Amino acid sequence: MSFLEALLVGLAEARRHFAQTLLSLLGLILGTGSIVAVLALFGGQSKITQDYVAEVGGFGTVIARDRELSQRPTATELASDRLTYGDARYLKQRATTLGAVAPGFFEEMDYRVGGVSFQGPVIGTTPDYAVINDIRPLVGRYLSDLDVERQARVMVLGWKYADSLFGAAETALGGLVTLAGRNFTVVGVLEREEFYFAPWSGNELEYRNRRAYIPITTAFSQYTGDDEHLSFLTLKAAHPTGARAAQQQVTAMLLLRHGVQDFDITPSGAGANDDAQFFKLFDFIFLVVGVVSLIAGGVVIANILLASVVERVREFGTRMALGATGFQIFAQVIAQVVVIAVIGGLLGLALGWGLTGTVAYFMKMPAAVTPTIALVAIGTSLSVGFAAGIYPAFRAARLSPVEALRYA
Amino acid sequence: MALIEARALTKVYRLGRVDVAALRGVDIDVARGEYVAIMGPSGSGKSTLMHILGCLDTPSGGAYRLDGEEIGGLRGRALARVRNRKVGFVFQTFNLMPRMTVEENVALPLQYRGGLRRRARLKRARALLERFGLGERIGHRPDELSGGERQRVAVARALIGEPAILLVDEPTGNLDSEAGAQVLRAFREVHAAGNTIVLVTHDPDVGAEAARTIRLADGRVAA
Ligand SMILES: Nc1ncnc2c1ncn2[C@@H]1O[C@H](COP(=O)(O)OP(=O)(O)OP(=O)(O)O)[C@@H](O)[C@H]1O
Ligand SMILES: [Mg+2]
Repeated sequence: MSFLEALLVGLAEARRHFAQTLLSLLGLILGTGSIVAVLALFGGQSKITQDYVAEVGGFGTVIARDRELSQRPTATELASDRLTYGDARYLKQRATTLGAVAPGFFEEMDYRVGGVSFQGPVIGTTPDYAVINDIRPLVGRYLSDLDVERQARVMVLGWKYADSLFGAAETALGGLVTLAGRNFTVVGVLEREEFYFAPWSGNELEYRNRRAYIPITTAFSQYTGDDEHLSFLTLKAAHPTGARAAQQQVTAMLLLRHGVQDFDITPSGAGANDDAQFFKLFDFIFLVVGVVSLIAGGVVIANILLASVVERVREFGTRMALGATGFQIFAQVIAQVVVIAVIGGLLGLALGWGLTGTVAYFMKMPAAVTPTIALVAIGTSLSVGFAAGIYPAFRAARLSPVEALRYA
Repeated sequence: MALIEARALTKVYRLGRVDVAALRGVDIDVARGEYVAIMGPSGSGKSTLMHILGCLDTPSGGAYRLDGEEIGGLRGRALARVRNRKVGFVFQTFNLMPRMTVEENVALPLQYRGGLRRRARLKRARALLERFGLGERIGHRPDELSGGERQRVAVARALIGEPAILLVDEPTGNLDSEAGAQVLRAFREVHAAGNTIVLVTHDPDVGAEAARTIRLADGRVAA
């Protein structure tokens, strides 16, 4: 009897024991289906997490901030100007590891246009800010080097503020806004920024739509009396993986300028990662569910196969009495398993594909069943089938006809 | 040369710490074309002997030649070949495959022998079934048949491979007298066609059918 013939016998057997076959199939289909869906959704979820980190400054971004003064500050500490716009310009010129330097002034101010007025954040900064934070104008332009050089009274509005003050982005362009008593001309309105970890959670980036940007030099000359102390200093490494090198170089350079470590340099991805961490929990739960369901599927299959073999040991005894070799019995059981595992794997793949599509559609998640995932699914189904089938097959093949026939 | 030559066959079953001697030195010769009945009280070792003669089990000691081939040293694959080609075994409970049709059941030994295509195998099975008056039943499943019909299907399955010997355990044990008589008629025909038959029975009437009776008692051949 060839293996092909054994396979045909296996197929016929699978059909004859329809109920058992159906149960094993169900176990395999559910197991494979959930693995497929879980892997696909897991992939989608990790992509979301990565996207978020990239969106809020991403990898390779480094933040410099003032360090709290110690309990008994030394004279050098007290004498230091802390982080200043001068530091920023120095780093921009000299720090070879940096690709962008965005110094910032930050304050809540009164916005006023005609009868509309409210309090909101104002950021004084340089064009590099747009590079680091990946923000794009919807109409008009962002701040330019010329604006900074000339201390121009121009502003770029967040999408929401443009909407609140002027009713629309287009009408805002060229309009006048009074910021804490000084008039500014709107030269640009930014694209609306939004990011959702999941459809039920809010817009993580809404705060960015509620602010205005002005040249940092204008901020100092108009509002601080030329005190050039910075509220924040965001740096971007020249290479995405260069954050650590940038951190070291910037620390060394600033230490030299200040004479004392009155600042801290930290990678910014950390904060974003904290936000994302919560959602990583979902990834984990997904994965656990998938593994558990596959194990459960495997146990079900193993059980059913074992039961079906035990039930049929007497039948195997008869077959051996008629001349079947142990190998032929083994081949028969394995062929049956292969048939079930292949069919179950394919149907499970289809189920997982449908499941992924449905979940991705309703939860607005990016998720796709890649060829790798499909291969993993079929492979898993086959190996579970084999693992579950080999032991009973081996046991059945080793019996002598009389032992098998007497099997209770 | 005898078809069956068994010398000093012993079989010991180990039950926990106790050894049960089912056969204690059995000598048997059966010539080609004989019709032999083995009789004896329950527990005397009849089934054990039949299993050894049918190569379904191996003896603990002694020598056994079947159709000129030394069986004692054979194991696994080789033993399966002997079962398939030289022995036709009919079980007391028939042991038909419940999910296969009558013709598929009868063709099964040919499948394990290899060489014939399925169509040819089934054709031979049908021809044999005709001879046993079961031509109408080829597409039925075993549970749709009467006891006597099942027994004859089992006999047909045992004979399909044209074995050297037909071994039958309690052929009438599970049949009423009418069906039993029918089965015995079938054996008579099979024997008349030149086949060698060894059967086990409790029934003196069945024993009387055979040309020779061997009596077993307590694992030995009684005089
Ligand atoms: N698998 C076994 N394990 C242990 N002892 C066994 C086994 N098979 C048979 N025996 C013992 O061997 C002895 C002979 O058994 P066997 O079945 O050959 O008798 P028998 O003549 O066929 O009896 P019956 O007429 O009741 O069928 C009995 O004592 C029985 O209990
Ligand atoms: Mg018996």
